[in-house]
Amino acid sequence: MSAEYTVKYYTHNTYDESVREAFFSFLIIPCQDETQTVRSLSFENSLQAEVFHHHNPFGFEVTSLRTAQNFTEFEFQMTATVEKSPVYLPTGSRLLSVEEEQSLLARHDFYIDHHLYLATSPYTQIKDELYGRLLFRKENQPVFDYLLQLNTFIYQMLRFDPEPTHVHTTVSEVIELGRGVCQDYTHLFIGVARLNKIPCRYISGYLNQGLSLSGTAVMHAWAEAYIPGHGWQGFDPTNNLLADINYIKAAHGADYSDCSPIRGMLRTNGAHRTSYGVEIIPNQMAESAQ
Amino acid sequence: MNTLVRQGEARGVFGNYQIPPQFLDEVFSNAGKVNPQYESIYRQFMQFSKEDFKELNEHAKKSFFNQGITFSVYNDKAKGLERIFPFDLFPRIISAAEWARLEEGIIQRCVALNLFIQDIYSTKHILKDKVVPAELIFSSKNYMKEMLDIKPVAGVYNHISGTDLIKHSDGEYYVLEDNIRCPSGISYVLTNRVAMKRSLFQMFKEFNVSTVQEYPQELLATMQSVAPDGVVAPTYVVLTPGIFNSAYFEHAYLAHNMGIPLVEGRDLFVDNNFVYMKTINGPQKVDVVYRRVDDEFLDPMAFNPKSVLGVPGIMGAYRKGNVSLLNAPGTGFADDKAVYTYMPDIIRYYLDQDPILNNVKTYRCEKEDEYKYVMENMEKLVIKPVDESGGYGILIGDRASKEEISEFKILISQNRRKYIAQPIMSLSMHATFIEGEDCFEPRCVDLRTFTLLGKDRSFVLKGGLSRVALKKGSLIVNSSQGGGSKDTWVMKD
Repeated sequence: MSAEYTVKYYTHNTYDESVREAFFSFLIIPCQDETQTVRSLSFENSLQAEVFHHHNPFGFEVTSLRTAQNFTEFEFQMTATVEKSPVYLPTGSRLLSVEEEQSLLARHDFYIDHHLYLATSPYTQIKDELYGRLLFRKENQPVFDYLLQLNTFIYQMLRFDPEPTHVHTTVSEVIELGRGVCQDYTHLFIGVARLNKIPCRYISGYLNQGLSLSGTAVMHAWAEAYIPGHGWQGFDPTNNLLADINYIKAAHGADYSDCSPIRGMLRTNGAHRTSYGVEIIPNQMAESAQ
Repeated sequence: MNTLVRQGEARGVFGNYQIPPQFLDEVFSNAGKVNPQYESIYRQFMQFSKEDFKELNEHAKKSFFNQGITFSVYNDKAKGLERIFPFDLFPRIISAAEWARLEEGIIQRCVALNLFIQDIYSTKHILKDKVVPAELIFSSKNYMKEMLDIKPVAGVYNHISGTDLIKHSDGEYYVLEDNIRCPSGISYVLTNRVAMKRSLFQMFKEFNVSTVQEYPQELLATMQSVAPDGVVAPTYVVLTPGIFNSAYFEHAYLAHNMGIPLVEGRDLFVDNNFVYMKTINGPQKVDVVYRRVDDEFLDPMAFNPKSVLGVPGIMGAYRKGNVSLLNAPGTGFADDKAVYTYMPDIIRYYLDQDPILNNVKTYRCEKEDEYKYVMENMEKLVIKPVDESGGYGILIGDRASKEEISEFKILISQNRRKYIAQPIMSLSMHATFIEGEDCFEPRCVDLRTFTLLGKDRSFVLKGGLSRVALKKGSLIVNSSQGGGSKDTWVMKD
């Protein structure tokens, strides 16, 4: 039974001084994969600028626009209709034994093919002295089983609080603070998974707002880890859930720096204020009307 | 020191030339005889009195001043010091036969490097076959995921390479390093030749020297060969960070000599994944960019978001195949000094040939046994950081104080991946006119050669930049450390 959503992303920026030239790039379009199909897609902006697209290194569509007209306000909106089918969990007979899992993870070729999701990055690097506070995989523990525990562990370790962290907060700082937002929960999950030699990547996307979960008013972040024999599986440590039919993925990358939803380059002298938000509305599926 | 005073020659500019032992002098043999390829030029120079030559030297300096050829030395003051690039009138001479072998070796190296970069950003065979350790590449700050799965036109990444060579006391050439990001120095090669001809035109005519002035046209032809598919009359530009860059003169010089615009980032913009230049007649599409802006600053959308030197969106246009960049971004991991140590293996792996040019024996501090050797033998070694350029951050073991050595030991132990060590190579010496002494003295010299790779074409300039360390006994020839240069004559048969 699949679901259909209307996803909206909008941003509204105001500038103290007139902007003379601007270039914006957005990484916000719901992606297409085994469980997601984009049925319709449209963009509007207050400058009437033509948007154009290119793929980023991870294969996700970047939406850009450039303008040379003067402005002090900028509004941008994307509207997409996405069909999402159920996500299959890594259970049952297809799973490998612990030995098979570990021997795959230890293969040199496997490491090279997944190196972006195994290396530490400034965001996900954890200081050695903090290892004692983390949860590591036990010797005979299957990967999926361990990651489920880690998901809960991080959910309990941190308190959701947008106050103390910002977009440049590193995992080590998050551990010290004990608080953070979905980006911080996700980076921590990724950092620990990688210490256990499990490929893990950062996901930015949208969470069905029909559920009263944290992180729905803005773009959400969660992690995908590689389960040997199964493939990529999404974990949301912010809500202690697995990514299911309510999770609409936009892009993935090694960490937040590959997924930041908006980048801009402006020629202006003053300060600016930005506000942005997202809406995810489940549609009445055609088949439920039958 | 064995002093050599030639009979009846002490009055001239070579008055009291002393050949240092353990060094190879390019002009004189150890017995004090002039080497065959230098005989006739030496005879010509012997005719100058000190006063004549000083005057000639001043004349040459003026020529540089009038050509506006300067170089900035970055120092701890906020403002760089702009200097005239010190120039020496006595040329370095390389015979045709010797050059032919060098050229072969340089092309071999540049082609192998190109295949290496291509492999790393696609299939990674060399890593899977464990010829080069994967960690070494993935941990390099110059390895760029933005380049993954981009296919530049004709698969060329390092269109322009500067290969640095030295001649060791064993008489063999060794590659000191490969520069395949934004190698500079070519403008000095060309202007040195101009200054040489202006100062000594009578003498120059008598020698059968290979020309160098075709370089700008060769560079333009290289750019043309890699223009995006289907573009009929491509537009080319040179992209400079601006007037404060130490090599700004060169950027302007090359643009001028190729007859193409010199632009800064703010002169370009990207719309609909194409690059445009702002002109008084409106936007003009740009197809090929010879960029002298470093990777990090090239596109604030993809790399350093604070950069104002780049062009927002240019990486998107590049990925779409709508613009060609010379050199490709992300080549820097391959001229990393730690990767340098694997060059012989890299050449064998891709070309199935033995390397023609020698590599200097290199110790990698990240390897346990080599680290131990380095720590125990620091006074015999040169220690270099792998990711710095311009001769910054180097320690030369036999000239360092005890304090400096122990300081460096701490530095290395804190970041072993960052340091390599090499035996102290004795650069060859070359007669160089020293102001103040007003006569020729031997000075260490190296050679930067320039290679162009394009679609189905390759070119090595028959000449290069012979850089001299002006400080007596110094081994550091980098212009940023106050080195000078001389014209390099590659003789025709």
